[in-house]
Amino acid sequence: MTAALEIQAIRKVFGDKVAIESLDLTIPQGAIYGLIGPSGAGKTTAIRMIMSILFPDSGSISLFGGGTALDAKDRIGYLPEERGSYRKMTVGAFLTYMGCLKGRTRAQASGRADRLLGRLGLTDVFAKKCEDLSKGMLQRVQFVAAIVNEPELLILDEPFGGLDPVSVRLLKEVIAEEHHRGATIIFSTHVMAHAEELCQQIVMIHQGRKVLDESIAGLRRQYDRRRILLEPLDPGANLLALKSVAGVENVKLNDQGCDIRLVEGTEPGSAMRALAGAVAPARIELARIRLEDVFIRLVSESGTANESHEALRTHLQGLSNTGASS
Amino acid sequence: MSISLRRIGLVAARDYKATITSRAFLVGLFVMPVLFVIIFTLIPRILNSNSPQVVGEVTVIDPTGKVTAELQQTVTPADIERRRSMEAGQNPAAPPAQPARTPVTVTGPAIPRLTLVPLPGDADVQARKPWLIQPRNATPQHLAIVVVRPDAVVRRADSGAFGNFDLYTSGHIDDNTETVLRGSVRAALIAARLHSVGEDPAAIATAEQVTQPDSVVVSATGEHAGSRGIARFLPFACGILIFISVISGGQALMTSTVEEKSNRVIEVLLAAVSPMELMSGKLLGHLGLGLTMTGIYLLMSFYTLGVYSMAALLEPMLIVYVLAFYMVTYMVFGSLMLTIGAAVNQMAEAQSLMGPVIILLVAGYSLTPIVGLAPNSSFSVAMSFIPPINTFAMIARVASSAPPPAWEVWTTLAIGCGTAALVVWFAAKVFKVALLMHGKPPNMATLVRWARMA
Repeated sequence: MTAALEIQAIRKVFGDKVAIESLDLTIPQGAIYGLIGPSGAGKTTAIRMIMSILFPDSGSISLFGGGTALDAKDRIGYLPEERGSYRKMTVGAFLTYMGCLKGRTRAQASGRADRLLGRLGLTDVFAKKCEDLSKGMLQRVQFVAAIVNEPELLILDEPFGGLDPVSVRLLKEVIAEEHHRGATIIFSTHVMAHAEELCQQIVMIHQGRKVLDESIAGLRRQYDRRRILLEPLDPGANLLALKSVAGVENVKLNDQGCDIRLVEGTEPGSAMRALAGAVAPARIELARIRLEDVFIRLVSESGTANESHEALRTHLQGLSNTGASS
Repeated sequence: MSISLRRIGLVAARDYKATITSRAFLVGLFVMPVLFVIIFTLIPRILNSNSPQVVGEVTVIDPTGKVTAELQQTVTPADIERRRSMEAGQNPAAPPAQPARTPVTVTGPAIPRLTLVPLPGDADVQARKPWLIQPRNATPQHLAIVVVRPDAVVRRADSGAFGNFDLYTSGHIDDNTETVLRGSVRAALIAARLHSVGEDPAAIATAEQVTQPDSVVVSATGEHAGSRGIARFLPFACGILIFISVISGGQALMTSTVEEKSNRVIEVLLAAVSPMELMSGKLLGHLGLGLTMTGIYLLMSFYTLGVYSMAALLEPMLIVYVLAFYMVTYMVFGSLMLTIGAAVNQMAEAQSLMGPVIILLVAGYSLTPIVGLAPNSSFSVAMSFIPPINTFAMIARVASSAPPPAWEVWTTLAIGCGTAALVVWFAAKVFKVALLMHGKPPNMATLVRWARMA
């Protein structure tokens, strides 16, 4: 199958700062990829180079088997992180204009824009001026502008930023529909939960370098062999008593029960049996590895982390919590 | 990479439509003509209609005994009106030698009603001066004291010149009344001097009346009425037409670019069009806007000149040249303004970069009246070939009474096109880099650095 996107060893430098270093990436057609990493990692720069808004200092980018985005603008939908609209234009005129710029006729663009607005709960805004919409409504309109041309490749840069939970759910549904239609989707986010939920494949970027390119299924098969989650059968059970079980390093209480960390080298199977013996569990399992943990581990192993683990975790968790709340 | 004319056309059409329907542009479009109407017609009328007629007394001390009687005649409203008509080049006494195109009404401030208060020739001027000091609302107003010198009518034997008159005025007299009084005394002195040598002032006044005829231009295509006064104005009018259209189109172009950047719609657009397509579309859209503006002004000029039977002044080739020079000038200055719009984040930041551009534009159109007066002087010819102001100098020469040979016009156009190509190339380079730049507003050196980066 022809790759929708093929990036080979691109590098981009702004002044003294290396924004992207030796990035290789191949995205097959029909895939849905998540480009994740903390703010400033180089995600937006990479996307702008894919879109031929910026150009790499070295390396190459080809789309649909050859050529750049400049040759295939009509086949791409793009929702930039910094997105706006013509304030004085009506929503309908704006979306029709964007559709026409991307090779659709006025009738096609207008019709699809109207349908998509309805799908996103904006049935009565077609004739309204963009400046009359709320920020959330405008963000949904901007999303429609990105897909009004039925793109073969859809690139979304932080699509859920600032949206309310209902809008996030609607957008996720429409992204899934676009994927089912056959579109290849790349979206960048610093909210790990969104990436875990939507993507087939995760690409992590840190300080301009790719530190992970792995399928979500592959990541889900990985467990943290030092963390056990336990939910007691009796809600009143004394969970702190588990600290005395052999091999237990730490016990953290949470709403469901507790998160138990084992001493390095402890065999998790025997530890789980001992814990179940101490407190009757309703549920006991090894914790699945989280993207932020993977990220921190990879960054540490690659030696590119300038921040401490806790600082990185706090940063990512803060961002994750933002996403998790939506 | 291919450039899509369809996308360029769509961007141009959107910019054209968005700007031409904006309230600011419509107001701007009609501001200049309205200002002209106000300056040239309404203001004098308003000023005159509101000026109250001055009624007052003028003391005359006339040792010659001959000037006062003449002055009684020359201060009459009828005589003042007659003199005004003569100064305006009309002959109030004679019937028109040829059919007038359109009667021109001589307008002016209200004629003051002056009453003379003659004093004996040996009256003491110093003693009379307090007479001028009175409250502003006093009735009758004491306006002035005219003191005729003894040799004002008959020269002294040892002098080749006539004596003059002295004028003492109240602090409340207005400029118009004083001017009328001075004119009346002058006319009275001339009449008294002529009478003293046995000449008839009325006959001489009649002999002096020569109505300026309208010239008839004879050319290979036929004859048409000449318009010397208007023709002198034409180079400046063509220059200001280009100036207004360029600055309006350029400003709108810059404003829309700044808005697109500050509204963060630029990146959305760049997902659909290349920077070159976006820039070309915007330049063309606002070029169309300026052409519309120029067209409207030309139509208005046609109409106005047609009212005075002078539409022939706007020859077809002159219109073609105005449009061609407008387009070249716009491409140069519009590209610079577009560059500035792409480089800054807010309109306020554009001011420092706009300074040199505006100075060059103003310098260009300021040349037009000078060049129009001497279209073939070395200065005028040299200015016609120095970009970017050469287009203004050349249009002034083309619109003048002695236009240059065609090869000079085409050379200027070629130089202008070359300059435009160079500036568009520079603008394209800066535009590409500057569009996504935010933060500290750039200076000229930064723009050059960006052009090198691109």
